[in-house]
Amino acid sequence: MSTLSELAIAVEGGKRNDAKLFTQALLDQGLKPLAIVEQGLVPGMASIGEKFKNNEVFVPEMLIAARAMKECMLILEPLLAAAGIKPKYTAVIGTVQGDLHDIGKNLVAMMLKGANFGIVDLGTNVAPEKFVAAAQEHSAQLICLSALLTTTMPAMKLTVRAVRAAGLTSAKIMVGGAPVTQEYCDEIGADGYSQDAASAVDLALELAATC
Amino acid sequence: MKKPSLTEACQCSSLTCDGAMGTQLIQLGMQLDECGMLWNAERPDDIKSVHQAYRGAGCRLITTNSFGGSRSMLERHGLGGKVAEWNRRAAQLAGEVAGPDGWVIGDVGPFGDFLEPLGDTTPEELEEIFREQISALVEGGADAILVETMSDPAELCVGIRAARAVTELPVIATYAFQKSAGEYRTMMGTKVAAAITAAYDAGASIAGANCGTDLSLADYLELAKEIVAAADGRPTILQPNAGAPRQVGDEVHYDATPADMAELTSQLRALGISIVGGCCGTSPAHLAAMAKA
Repeated sequence: MSTLSELAIAVEGGKRNDAKLFTQALLDQGLKPLAIVEQGLVPGMASIGEKFKNNEVFVPEMLIAARAMKECMLILEPLLAAAGIKPKYTAVIGTVQGDLHDIGKNLVAMMLKGANFGIVDLGTNVAPEKFVAAAQEHSAQLICLSALLTTTMPAMKLTVRAVRAAGLTSAKIMVGGAPVTQEYCDEIGADGYSQDAASAVDLALELAATC
Repeated sequence: MKKPSLTEACQCSSLTCDGAMGTQLIQLGMQLDECGMLWNAERPDDIKSVHQAYRGAGCRLITTNSFGGSRSMLERHGLGGKVAEWNRRAAQLAGEVAGPDGWVIGDVGPFGDFLEPLGDTTPEELEEIFREQISALVEGGADAILVETMSDPAELCVGIRAARAVTELPVIATYAFQKSAGEYRTMMGTKVAAAITAAYDAGASIAGANCGTDLSLADYLELAKEIVAAADGRPTILQPNAGAPRQVGDEVHYDATPADMAELTSQLRALGISIVGGCCGTSPAHLAAMAKA
């Protein structure tokens, strides 16, 4: 008998082969795919995220855990889709115009996926109107903007402006990246800032709940 | 007369490396989504003017405009075929400015992704990417290779190995550190001593740090102590930002003045850092003050 906590521990430890075996075993035992996501994968990712926030683990451990989670999701996603189950929240994410850096953005996308958000990843160098169009198309609760360069941060402001101008009142905007601060977030009128990919999950859950 | 080797020179005198390139190019009109490497071909006089400003400020190490010049980075602009031509050109431009008592430092930045098992790139593939870029820098006349702003010691070591495989020129290796829970680590979590030791073990002649996330001038002094301790007598380098960035409206300010950076430079030299240069927020004015410190 496999248990959900065994799965969570395998994900947290980045043991992808074990994690896949547990996922399959839990399905064979009759558990619902959504329960496996919510009570196995999500707690595993939350636990590694917590350790990351506390500087007990670093980027490599997060990436390895996320990879294990992703492989389990490959098994579960078709089943979830067949049952018509969609993630509760959808986030549109991208690196802002002029900036080609994607490591931070990818980390946040993985962590959000690990918290069972639907992710629409627009990549890098994303124009403000592209964020707006994707958020509309996917009825996203969240728009997540990333920038690594101090020189591209003004593109965040333009994107916030474009989202507000489009009247997308139902979507919240969160910002992050090495040079970004809470102060800057407030100044450009974004809805939230988080300083690392694990805190981004807490913020995303908080913001999405208010949508 | 043959130029003295950089490694010998930095053991007998204090050397100054140059400062930020990207922000200087933006001031000269480079667009944010433009490929900086393209300027080696299309705006060579502007690239040289930045080199000249730093050389005139007293910097003897002139860093080529090739941070994003690896195939993997150029491919982001759809320009992967230009690696050899543009890196060669970057080294030539720096060489036209460095002069007989300056050195052309062939710049190699991160390849932009993670190595296996975190990413999909194998060390062999990455070594090939770095070799291609470094060969062109050497052909263009580089006097040393700088593998810089690295977060992952494994990637940095592949860079050093690639350089060692194509040239006997000295290799300088630098990491970007951040402060997490009171300790200096790279983004990958590696502490200073382990990171620096790995660089020398892989064959770097000179190792240290540049840039970094949100580090104050005081942080750089602490970081320098750890680097010098790990170097254990071997040559070291530090290229700090002009303090931590501060957002004012749409602009980013680095508050450290040339005088502040000169004072920091004296302190870094007193701690035993062999080569001091600048990174984000530094300008020729900062470097002029630092070179005199």
